[in-house]
Amino acid sequence: MTRTKTLRAGLACVLLATTAVIAAPVAQAPLPKDSVYQLPARLTDQQGRQFDWSTRRGTPQVVAMFYTSCQFTCPLIVNSGKAVEHALTPAQQRGLGILLISMDPRRDTPAALKSVVRKRGLDTARWTLASPRPADVSGVAGVLGVRYRQLADGDFNHTSALLLLDREGRIVARTEQVGSVLEPAFLTAVKAAVAR
Amino acid sequence: MRRNAALLSLLLPVAAALAGGAGPATKGGYVSLPGGHFRTALKYEDRKNGVAVAPFALMQKPVTNAEFLAFVQAHPQWRRDRVASVLAEPAYLSHWSRPDALGPRALPQQPVTQVSWFAAKAYCQAQHARLPSWDEWEYAAAADETRRDARKDPAWRERILGWYSRPSSGPLPRAGLQAPNAYGVQDLHGLVWEWTGDFSSLLVDGDNRNQGDGDKSKFCGAGALSMDDRENYAVLMRVAMLSSLQAADTTANLGFRCAKDLQ
Amino acid sequence: MRTAIRRHGVVLAAALLVFAIGGCNRGHDGDDTAKAPIAQAETGGSLKGDFGPPQGPDVQAVLTSPPMVPPPTGRHKPAHVIVELDVIEKEMPISEGVTYTFWTFGGTVPGSFIRVRQGDTVTFHLRNMPDSKMPHNIDLHGVTGPGGGAASSFTAPGHVSRFTFKALNAGLFVYHCATAPVGMHIANGMYGLILIEPPEGLPPVDHEYYVMQGDFYTTGKYREKGHQPFDMEKAIDERPTYVLFNGSEGALTGDKALKAKVGDTVRLYVGNGGPNLVSSFHVIGEIFDKVWLEGGTRFQENVQTTLIPSGGAAIMQFHLEVPGSYVMVDHSIFRAFNKGAIAILKADGPENKAIYSGKEVDAMYLGDRAAPNLAAVATAATAHEAGTLTQEDQVKAGQALFAGTCSTCHQPNGEGMAGVFPPLAKSSVLAANPKRIVEIMMHGLNGPITVNGKEFNSTMPAQTQLTDDEIANIGTYVLNSWGNPGGRITKEEVAERRKAPPPADAASGGE
Repeated sequence: MTRTKTLRAGLACVLLATTAVIAAPVAQAPLPKDSVYQLPARLTDQQGRQFDWSTRRGTPQVVAMFYTSCQFTCPLIVNSGKAVEHALTPAQQRGLGILLISMDPRRDTPAALKSVVRKRGLDTARWTLASPRPADVSGVAGVLGVRYRQLADGDFNHTSALLLLDREGRIVARTEQVGSVLEPAFLTAVKAAVAR
Repeated sequence: MRRNAALLSLLLPVAAALAGGAGPATKGGYVSLPGGHFRTALKYEDRKNGVAVAPFALMQKPVTNAEFLAFVQAHPQWRRDRVASVLAEPAYLSHWSRPDALGPRALPQQPVTQVSWFAAKAYCQAQHARLPSWDEWEYAAAADETRRDARKDPAWRERILGWYSRPSSGPLPRAGLQAPNAYGVQDLHGLVWEWTGDFSSLLVDGDNRNQGDGDKSKFCGAGALSMDDRENYAVLMRVAMLSSLQAADTTANLGFRCAKDLQ
Repeated sequence: MRTAIRRHGVVLAAALLVFAIGGCNRGHDGDDTAKAPIAQAETGGSLKGDFGPPQGPDVQAVLTSPPMVPPPTGRHKPAHVIVELDVIEKEMPISEGVTYTFWTFGGTVPGSFIRVRQGDTVTFHLRNMPDSKMPHNIDLHGVTGPGGGAASSFTAPGHVSRFTFKALNAGLFVYHCATAPVGMHIANGMYGLILIEPPEGLPPVDHEYYVMQGDFYTTGKYREKGHQPFDMEKAIDERPTYVLFNGSEGALTGDKALKAKVGDTVRLYVGNGGPNLVSSFHVIGEIFDKVWLEGGTRFQENVQTTLIPSGGAAIMQFHLEVPGSYVMVDHSIFRAFNKGAIAILKADGPENKAIYSGKEVDAMYLGDRAAPNLAAVATAATAHEAGTLTQEDQVKAGQALFAGTCSTCHQPNGEGMAGVFPPLAKSSVLAANPKRIVEIMMHGLNGPITVNGKEFNSTMPAQTQLTDDEIANIGTYVLNSWGNPGGRITKEEVAERRKAPPPADAASGGE
């Protein structure tokens, strides 16, 4: 009699414990000090969704800065992202996010971002185009090591770089070679990042 | 009651006159500058004819160790043992004896150095202020003690170059020792380099010899700034310095001061 | 596969060479022109300068401070070489009693000497010291690539940059900082040399030395004492205050002169950092047996003076036959004697009268301005001002001055010349009245005088060019040499005695 009661009690305990474990979010390890997500940055994507970029934690990201009205290099940046895509197997592609952050939030509204997604046929399962708040652009550029200057006519002078963030948001690779031909070392790093 | 009011009505204008006559207004360590059209040394293609600087307020002196210590104590996420390395490199505040204490190598009144752009920005934000823009900084720094724009005077240039030619081995002087310039601002030259909010927009070719040879793919769009104005090389060396830095960098000769918009 | 091609290449090249020489000989019987170095085949420059990927373990480059040169690499295959070079801003003397804030590579002006082999892959680490005020970078003239490396090495204080290049061309190349304003960074001493050896190396010699000329611009005048800042206006107007070898007056003179022996072959790697002046480089008393013009592949022979462009270099080689002090100058000669462009190579060894019979070069050539031991005179002057002048200081200074002024007649050992110049050694005249030497120098001596039992009857001119302290120092030196009574003469004494009317036996010369 007592044994069944203990057993039932024990089972109940186990059930409760398991539910508790399943229900509660997994207590995350603290964010590493060298993760770019240490800088809070609220982004608005092509769907109008708002999120802090630290929610990208958990998936490696290829990140670059751009703006939609850029005629020269920014199309090349999209080409770079596509080149990365094409070099990966579908399984690898599923493990990667491609994040393009605008340096021109005033003009790069969700509508403007969406039109680039459509024009270039970008798969939004992987691709996110987003704008930070105007006051946050310099900080994001700062942690990504991108330099930019707005010209009188609204255009920008800027450096161009593709960065690879690991799952924790640490910069593990960087290339200044933009366009359809990728730097081999960068591609190798992407493959290694999605594998782990 | 009426007598007090009468007295007050007498005193207020006097006080105002005194304040007005005593030089530029200082409010909480800031000085007001009138702004205006300014012939900048940064001759980008899209601003060859100068820039318009809106009226703004600028800290009279650079931020000191003591002031920054108070900030770190109030915002412990900016302690050197807690700050994220993407926001401040390992040398951040390394000259302080402890994360929360200055020590003998960081005297309270010396300008704070070994601070990153992120840290400087955070300090200014906590003050409801911001970092000055390069234009604002250059505008304020064009003055000497008596003239608002002293840049044509070779003596002004020589003084600045004199600081460059002195080695850093001596101790860092206190903030506020120099005579104020015509705007009432001190220590813009000869003490420490200073962060600006837009330092990373100083798109300079690290190699000085590419005069106007804009590598279009390096700085997408117009060419990089060419620094060939011999009259302004003293100022342009500052541009070279800022353009060599990343936002998380610190150096032993680099500090900052804050600015505010004026409504 | 590649090695086979290379071997074939060598055979082809050799064949070509034979053809070329053979071709030349065909038309000129008994003519030696075929052996002249200029008739060789081209090296092919950078197109042929890539010898493939590096092989073997990484090599840590040996960097040397001037005037020393790292040893030959001795390599026969391309290697991966690591160079670590620090940028240090420091205050150093530019002349006696004059300091200047130099910006340096490796703590010296010129900067450290780098030596690699053609085809090497070099990974360059440029470290800017934390207490530097300025950002710096480096442009190596031996690098093929944007800015010679400058674009990739822009370094803030307290940081380090790294870039990699392959050395495709052999030669002796200048490197310098290229941060704005470039002229100022170079004028402050930011230059040096990198030697990219040809694949077969350079023929061995007894000594290799590193010399680099530079022009310097200070707001004060030449030799104006104290700390001197850089003067941008003078630099723009190309009016240097100093023109120096290896960054300071006396860097290569006196104790710091370069050394060699008679019979040695010496090779000099000479650069010109500028920033402005072109150098007319000449070694007094020597002819360059070989000059690799502008640091390139071909050499010229039998050259007296060679031009070294600003931002350029040259290699010269010569064999030493006689001992002496060989003075290196920029033969735009006012730079040598009025701005400091003097360096010395001292060759020791047995005389060879068949080649050169006369006195040592320095006693004749240098005058009083550039004698290597002028330091003694300067020391005495400083000490006198500080009130710390010792008799020994005076003796040393007097000795230097005696060599330049008096020894011509009275001989370096004071023996004089029988019947013509009285001896100063163990002089009976000085024994009787030591201080008389002051009057004799000041006013000269005319008429008969008996010294050590011998009669002399001539005129010694008044040494009116000597100042009071020079007379005091020379007098003190003479009185304390060669068995004379000793004692000391002060500048003040001389000044006093100058006020008195000249003695009866004064010479009339001078005034």
